[in-house]
Amino acid sequence: MIKRIASIFFAVSISLFGLTACSSGTEETAAITEADCGTEGAFCIGLVTDTGKVDDKSFNQSAWEGAVAGAENVGGFAKYIETLDPKDYATNIGQFADAGYNVIIGVGFLMAEAMTTAAKQYPDIKFIGVDQFQGEALPNLTGLVFPEDKAGFLAGVLAGHLTTSGKTGAVLGTEVVPPVRYFGEGFRNGVAYAAQLLGKDLPATKLIYHAPDNAFNDPAWGGATAKQLLSQGYDVIFGAGGNTGNGALLEIAKTPGAYCVGVDADQWGTLPEAQPCLVTSAMKLIDKGVAALVEAASAGTIEGGNFFGDVGLAPYHDFDSKIDSAIKDKIAELTPQVLDGTVPTGVKL
Amino acid sequence: MRFRLSYFVIVSSILLFAYFYSQNSIVTSSVVFTAIPFALPLALAAMVGVMCERTGIVNIGIEGTMLVSAFTAFFLGAILKNISAGLFIGIMTGVLVGLLLSVMTITWKMDQIIAGVIINIMAAGITSFLYRQNYRIPSTFLPIDIPVIGDIPVIGPIVSNHGPITYFGIIFIFGLWVALYKTPWGLRSRSVGEHPSSADTAGVSVVRLRYINVTIAGAVGGLAGSYLALEAVGIFERGFTAGKGFTALAIMIFGRWNPLGAFAAALFFGLSQAVTNQLMIDEVVQIPQQFVTMLPYVLTILILAISAGKVRPPAAEGIPYEKEKV
Repeated sequence: MIKRIASIFFAVSISLFGLTACSSGTEETAAITEADCGTEGAFCIGLVTDTGKVDDKSFNQSAWEGAVAGAENVGGFAKYIETLDPKDYATNIGQFADAGYNVIIGVGFLMAEAMTTAAKQYPDIKFIGVDQFQGEALPNLTGLVFPEDKAGFLAGVLAGHLTTSGKTGAVLGTEVVPPVRYFGEGFRNGVAYAAQLLGKDLPATKLIYHAPDNAFNDPAWGGATAKQLLSQGYDVIFGAGGNTGNGALLEIAKTPGAYCVGVDADQWGTLPEAQPCLVTSAMKLIDKGVAALVEAASAGTIEGGNFFGDVGLAPYHDFDSKIDSAIKDKIAELTPQVLDGTVPTGVKL
Repeated sequence: MRFRLSYFVIVSSILLFAYFYSQNSIVTSSVVFTAIPFALPLALAAMVGVMCERTGIVNIGIEGTMLVSAFTAFFLGAILKNISAGLFIGIMTGVLVGLLLSVMTITWKMDQIIAGVIINIMAAGITSFLYRQNYRIPSTFLPIDIPVIGDIPVIGPIVSNHGPITYFGIIFIFGLWVALYKTPWGLRSRSVGEHPSSADTAGVSVVRLRYINVTIAGAVGGLAGSYLALEAVGIFERGFTAGKGFTALAIMIFGRWNPLGAFAAALFFGLSQAVTNQLMIDEVVQIPQQFVTMLPYVLTILILAISAGKVRPPAAEGIPYEKEKV
């Protein structure tokens, strides 16, 4: 009996050790430390990640890099909390709010509700929600959103030009998260646009979505799904969905002659293993957007509602010499037109 | 009854395959081909469960075993720039985790569910804490084009071109079936899982056999984790086992605690995953992915409900063995 109690006690204490709600890290600039937060003259920025990690080579990392850059530019102090469980969103935001932080950044669509609640609760703090579209504007909550469909569209136009089999596909995170759908459908419409330009009859791009459960952290699924597409002759594949998409890119990199397109950041640098197939990445510049908003918050010019960040295609890197210059010119010509909306992407937002 | 059911399943799957193959040979073989990478990690993880539960130890720490083995396999493979060394270390990590579970459940006679939870939590914590960016393995285990078999018309494209761990894993599963049902070791193992005191009376060392089996099972979990890191994906990410170790428990039950049954169940699950993808590719009908993720659990409930009384877990499962105590 005593042994049993002892073992349960042991188990519980280890669980508590493992389940500590979050881990955190700091980036100190100037002479400000955490203790100064909430006092006059100190500018503190708190970032709460989605259930991913701050070094996820994807959107959490970009957002954190933006927060650090913003903090450096305004002489502030930045700190992050990694969320381990979605039910901790509010708690983690609350930690920063109660410590007197001036700006709180919440990363990811899934945190939108917790951010809205917190913004109402703490009217004096500026909230920045990355990937959180604001339906009704709150004065102290700015949604940093991106026209992902435009980046996807440009990548799709490139894919439509590159494919030799005519078959293009996309291995995606979950449909439930709108930016993922925008990327995918933008890509599909881009391929259709390229078909029109070339006067070719390309079949519609196939979009394959993961289930919402573990949607962004199942590279084995992404890899096997890419295998399935490759074995049916698909030769340009877009991988968009955190590690799930990365799994697809890594699988395609093993297949000579197939091209892949990365997402969010320039994955040539963030996922070097994918370089053998990576022609470009459909980027959204989260870091730039976050830094700009942090600076605006510091200057007092930040406004509630939605702030649109920049998107675009990453450089071709080693593929620069392999892609026909006519194609590159076409993309370069199309880019400003797509970005300013002259060429509509046709994605229903 | 049981034999007829399995014959029925085999014959009807062959007929279905033949029908679809005659309709579209490329897509059909691609779907069956892809079912294997979807199924393999689940099948190997289910073998961990089968080996442990057959000797009476509940192991819900499969997920953690895979995660921590994938971690060591990847990082040591990257540091040593040698994936074979990584594979060896991954398997050895599995052995250590198996030993840890043995010590907790057999020697300390801890609650086996709690012991498994400890392994899962420790694995998630340790791998997150020690994770570093910018490590790369030189290459993954690449697919092997099997010379003669690969040229056989219909079957060749399906069974050829998988990685070495895949082939080894499949051979292991068949070997485990033979070992469990046709060797003295298997008979002893099963008797220890059914009625340990009788086995003890007959001169089988319950503790020793349980230690050996749980430890070997740990090695298999290490193999499953190494497969993910070194063959299927080629990277390690925190939590990237994505619940496969838990799905495997459902697959083990669905497969009636039998290695071949669990393998068939895993293949069925892999196939349903590939078919769902194919339905999205062909835009026939959008089956929500959630439905497929749910499938092994729903089927397990169905199987257990239909065959209530016929399918049952090993009798002594979950009960620590104490000598001379009935």
